[in-house]
Amino acid sequence: MDERLDFDVYEVFAQSDSLSPHVHVFNVLASSPDMAMALAEENFFRRAEFVSLWVVRRDQIHQIGFHDREGFQKTPKAYRTTDDYKYLRDKWRYYRDHPMNPDGSPAAGGTVDGTMDD
Amino acid sequence: MLEETLTDQEAYFLERVDRGDRIEADDWMPEDYRQQLVRLIAMHAVSEIMGALPEKEWVPRAPTLYRKLAITAKVQDEVGHGQLLIRVAEDLMRPWGKNREDIMDDLFTGRLKYHNVFHMATPTWADAGVIGWLVDGAAVITQGMSLSCSYAPYARALQRIVEEEGFHIQHGESICMALAEGTPMQRAMLQDALNRWWPALLMFFGPPEKNQLSTHQLRNIRYRIRSKTNEELRQRFFSKYVHRIWSLGLTIPDPTLYQDPVTKEWTYAQPDWEEFRQIVNNRGPRSEARLGLRSTTYQEGEWVRRTIALSPTAG
Ligand SMILES: [Fe+2]
Ligand SMILES: [Fe+2]
Repeated sequence: MDERLDFDVYEVFAQSDSLSPHVHVFNVLASSPDMAMALAEENFFRRAEFVSLWVVRRDQIHQIGFHDREGFQKTPKAYRTTDDYKYLRDKWRYYRDHPMNPDGSPAAGGTVDGTMDD
Repeated sequence: MLEETLTDQEAYFLERVDRGDRIEADDWMPEDYRQQLVRLIAMHAVSEIMGALPEKEWVPRAPTLYRKLAITAKVQDEVGHGQLLIRVAEDLMRPWGKNREDIMDDLFTGRLKYHNVFHMATPTWADAGVIGWLVDGAAVITQGMSLSCSYAPYARALQRIVEEEGFHIQHGESICMALAEGTPMQRAMLQDALNRWWPALLMFFGPPEKNQLSTHQLRNIRYRIRSKTNEELRQRFFSKYVHRIWSLGLTIPDPTLYQDPVTKEWTYAQPDWEEFRQIVNNRGPRSEARLGLRSTTYQEGEWVRRTIALSPTAG
């Protein structure tokens, strides 16, 4: 009877430059972290460069359940984004050219001294 | 670290910094680099956490449901920024056998200071607006500089933080714009808030250097932890915001404020730097109340942290 080889799946994560997050690349089957690392380099980085490489045994990764994922997507989040504030751009531009008076009334003419630095 | 007496390790480290390499938590680093980073990042972390409190006071009193959701989201972001930064600081403190409990202890005992602006009162809704627009605006000027910090984990945290600050600033602008376009009473409320916050905004960047950089600053510049002086950052703030403030017909409470048309340099009345020192030493208008709230909450949560730590699935 054949003896089954006891290999593990390792998930591979790489970072392309030090300001970027580690990104999931793919996975390899290996007998140890060192072997997983070597295989990851050979399989995924024959051309592309990385500054950091992680291998994580798949059974060490905990993932969110399917139903939680679904619920997560359904939460409306417009109030957390700048989507509703797009109008501000036009307003700032308008008041730059037509600055308000101290009492809030529109100015007769002229602009605020200088240019605005966006 | 005197540059004439460097060990090979130190020389190599500086060489990496000079060529723009980013340092990671596990890389070898000089002890005073680690100390400067912890000093800066722990201070930034507790400032985010304490910074959630002034606006939190307006969550129950926000004028509309939409504003309530938005300000809640912002307050939540600030606490989240604190969480990111505490993790960055903790990784650096690990060789000293210290962790977040030491950061919180240092905050409560006054060894660790937090930004002057978060010691101030927020009596009106306009204060919430001015914080978002101008305090977060000022913070982004500092944090924008720190994106180029030589310590990679801090720079990565800041990328996430600065992105969310964009939302905070527009949220604040939107509140201020509505008040500026509102009734005379609303405009007066906005003007009052600006008057209250102006000196604190100038203080936020720290005292002007007048060609005399402190030892800390010199080290931080050498290590590429920071690249600009307090005064350079404050000047940038003026250039970015003064005209906008004026365009809403608001008066900046400094009749001497003036930009040289040639050099573009702003002259301004110095805030009271003695008052600044009092404020950051926890003798500001709301220092005691907010630290009290924070430390009570921390104590009341103690049993929760203990229970979680002892639960069989932990660790
Ligand atoms: Fe923040
Ligand atoms: Fe913010």
